[in-house]
Amino acid sequence: MKHQRIILLFAFIFMGMPAWAADDNLVSAELMNDIGYGAIVAILILFIVVMLLILRTFKVLTKIMLKQQGITEDQVENVIKAEKKPKNETWIKLLSLRPMSEEKDLLMEHEYDGIQELNNPTPAWFMYLFYGTIIFAIGYLLNYHVFHTGQLQYEEYRTEIAKADIAQKAFLSKSANRVDETNVKLVNDPVVLASGQVIFKKNCSPCHGEHAQGVVGPNLTDDYWLHGGKINDIFKTIKYGVPAKGMPTWEKLLSPKQIADVANYIKSLHGTNPAGPKEPQGVKETDDKLALN
Amino acid sequence: MQPEKFFYDNKIVRNFGIATVLWGIAGMTIGLLIAVQLYYPGANMHNQYTTFGRIRPLHTNAVIFAFVGNAIFMGVYYSLQRLLKARMFSDKLSAIHFWGWQLIIVSALITLPLGITTSHEYAELEWPIDIAITIIWVVFGINMFGTIFKRRERHLYVAIWFYIATFVTIAVLHIVNSFEIPVTFWKSYMVYAGVQDALVQWWYGHNAVAFFLTTPYLGMMYYFLPKMANRPIYSYKLSILHFWALIFIYIWAGPHHLLYTTLPGWAQSLGVAFSIMLIAPSWGGMINGLLTLRGAWDKVRDDVVLKFMVVALTAYGMATFEGPMLSLKQVNAIAHFSDWIIAHVHVGALGWNGFLTFGILYWLIPRIYKTELYSKKLASFHFWIGTLGILFYVIPLYWAGFTQGLMLKEFTPEGMLKYPNFLETVLRIVPMWVTRSLGGCLYLTGVIVMAYNLTRTALQGKLLANEPAQAMPLEPVNTIARESGWHRRLERRPIQFMIAALLVILIGSFVELMPTLTISSNIPTIASVKPYTPLELQGRDLYIREGCLACHSQTVRPFRSETERYGEYSKAGEFVYDHPFLWGSERKGPDLARIGGKYPNAWHYNHLMDPRLMSPGSIMPDYNWLITQDLDTSTTKAKINAMRKIGVPYPAGYENIANRDLTTQADAIAADLSRDHIKVSGRKEIIAITAYLQRLGTDIKANKTTTK
Repeated sequence: MKHQRIILLFAFIFMGMPAWAADDNLVSAELMNDIGYGAIVAILILFIVVMLLILRTFKVLTKIMLKQQGITEDQVENVIKAEKKPKNETWIKLLSLRPMSEEKDLLMEHEYDGIQELNNPTPAWFMYLFYGTIIFAIGYLLNYHVFHTGQLQYEEYRTEIAKADIAQKAFLSKSANRVDETNVKLVNDPVVLASGQVIFKKNCSPCHGEHAQGVVGPNLTDDYWLHGGKINDIFKTIKYGVPAKGMPTWEKLLSPKQIADVANYIKSLHGTNPAGPKEPQGVKETDDKLALN
Repeated sequence: MQPEKFFYDNKIVRNFGIATVLWGIAGMTIGLLIAVQLYYPGANMHNQYTTFGRIRPLHTNAVIFAFVGNAIFMGVYYSLQRLLKARMFSDKLSAIHFWGWQLIIVSALITLPLGITTSHEYAELEWPIDIAITIIWVVFGINMFGTIFKRRERHLYVAIWFYIATFVTIAVLHIVNSFEIPVTFWKSYMVYAGVQDALVQWWYGHNAVAFFLTTPYLGMMYYFLPKMANRPIYSYKLSILHFWALIFIYIWAGPHHLLYTTLPGWAQSLGVAFSIMLIAPSWGGMINGLLTLRGAWDKVRDDVVLKFMVVALTAYGMATFEGPMLSLKQVNAIAHFSDWIIAHVHVGALGWNGFLTFGILYWLIPRIYKTELYSKKLASFHFWIGTLGILFYVIPLYWAGFTQGLMLKEFTPEGMLKYPNFLETVLRIVPMWVTRSLGGCLYLTGVIVMAYNLTRTALQGKLLANEPAQAMPLEPVNTIARESGWHRRLERRPIQFMIAALLVILIGSFVELMPTLTISSNIPTIASVKPYTPLELQGRDLYIREGCLACHSQTVRPFRSETERYGEYSKAGEFVYDHPFLWGSERKGPDLARIGGKYPNAWHYNHLMDPRLMSPGSIMPDYNWLITQDLDTSTTKAKINAMRKIGVPYPAGYENIANRDLTTQADAIAADLSRDHIKVSGRKEIIAITAYLQRLGTDIKANKTTTK
């Protein structure tokens, strides 16, 4: 009965897995991972429990069988005890330890302030460890500096970048994330603006102000633009920055879609007249919002 | 022959013991304070003298040189006399050594909060104190060798081998790492620059760990553990093997602190290879200690002193296994600059150095006061709260190290950094920092309890300042039979022994330092890299004074995650005028090697005034005093002259017009700030540090535009 239940449980778990995997819309990848780890840990624990149960069963069975053959428990205990001893000795041998009884023969004749020393050899396993690390070290140097089979840091870096480029291109060609300054579109989709607002608050407001009124950076709500006020210009300014004037490059920190979102959010702020605006900077431009509408 | 009667000097041992406990409490309290500042920047009490960058070096110096240093001298002065059957060579030298060392510590306690620092980690003290350290160290050496020469024991025991190696190697390390050219009484520049300076510093830094925190403690372990357990040392052969292997190999491992930097590849690989080979020699000490306890494990159960010793040896074994693992470059790529390293060093500091010191104190104080320990229960309480403290300290930091190290390397499928904002990774690990400071608090509580327990012990006993002893005088050398075994013969020749140890540690030092310091092809130069302007130079010295490098590195490693985050990886040629180098060893904030030109001057002004204005949630302290304090330009001339002497090509006579250039540049920055409605005089310190920050990493960009 018990085994049947366990088999059923396993069967259920295994049948369930593909079902979860197929349904990736409902269960996030992270949750999937957690469930996966949980399942592995649970199975391992179950395995240990089953092993312990089997061990216990064997013990009980042996006792019953031995009793039937007319052997008393004391005799059994003696046999077990006798068997345990050599086990301990193999452990000591493994550690290259001499029995305590032989210690007297190992004492060296000198002593310092009552401290004596034993003439034990260095443990064999210790020497193997030492030789092993020496071989590793020689191998390490040969690998990187003689045979050049391993990559040193700059070569390793080029490999890493090349791999990442391939992966990135493959990903971007599949996704709609290919927007750049030439094809960015002005939209007033609330989802886009909301996403843009979040990015703005986090990255732009320290310099441009909570309401884009301008602090260190210029006011973004007036009619005046230093580097062009069209959506394409704003996208470009954000993407490449204007390092000479202190505007950072965001290309590495924001994805193209994020830049498009925040550019659209900035466009949406035009004419909001926030409190405490910075004085106008740059050239007055007509709004291209009209052109879209 | 008649046995000679003499007295052991216990008073000097007691003095060093008191100093150990007091400085230990002081150093750990400062540690706790800076741990709190990491998540509560206001804990600097809005005072420049108690701000993280300035008192982190105070914590490390106090714990290493004051707590551990005094503990070493306590252990050495106690064991050396007894192992040699002789009183210390000179009571006067002992006193000079003791008071001189305490004076050096006090001078550190004053100068470091004032921002007087060389910026070399664990060697921050300025040149006058460096000279004082040299003198006191020589006094210690004379006192030790003087005692060895008048010994009544022919052969030197293994503990003394370690003391001798400690003495010679620390002398070499300290002198080579203190090659600095004085500018004023409290300011100097390192003679080496950039990569070379980095190599010298980490050759020193790593071996300070080896020969200040490890070898003297192994020596003490070899004396005190067999005395405490009343057991013979497990293996004399193992002692010989691991002693020589340890000191020979340790000295090579320094470059593992500089993996993925601009240090030449061959030096990095040597550092890794030797670090791996270090596992067995390090473990030799642990094995010999633990196997010495063989047959005495029943005592460990009841004796709190032995418990401390067992945990100390275990922590030593863990830290010396972890160290080589961290030096593997694949692991180092994640762990370096992260909290993992802080956890690693604290396994060693709290577990190995701390617990071994406590064990010795609990054993030694009752003996020299001729009494029993006041309370075994309190000692036992100390053991458990200390162990718990270590666990609460290191486990969260390991966790924090993994978390941040991995977060910083994570990319989205679009090929963007998943956490482009460094601060985001910091805020994630703040809870672990809180837990860590709790661990530190537990550990410190234990030490305070120990201080109480030892004081009560001393009060109930009476110091036996001069302990009577007797021993046979040494028989003349010609009467002893020729011994078999080369090492046995070496053990009775202290000078030859010292020279042998010196030669062994010089091999690795020469092979690694000499080519890097002398062969120019190891440091390719870049034409567009120019010396700092006078204002930038002054700003750089402010950067050093404030200890910015405690949290900000200045070296971009060649990883995609770093070049995406910070910009092009660093080149060796960029650092040729950096006396000293400022690469740092920890990143609590982002790297600054390419910060120049990234933000406007106004951003830096606001950010230094209150970092939270520019990056909400930042844990960086406010640097208001940079805005109110005037820049001291009286030193400009001396600084330019000193820099020229060590090879920075300022034109002849430039020192006379340097301050004019400084003013012009400062006024330009002040004018730029005023355009952003910030009214500040060009004479203020903040102008200089802004000029320096704006220069960082920009030279190489000029190179690009000219070659295009």
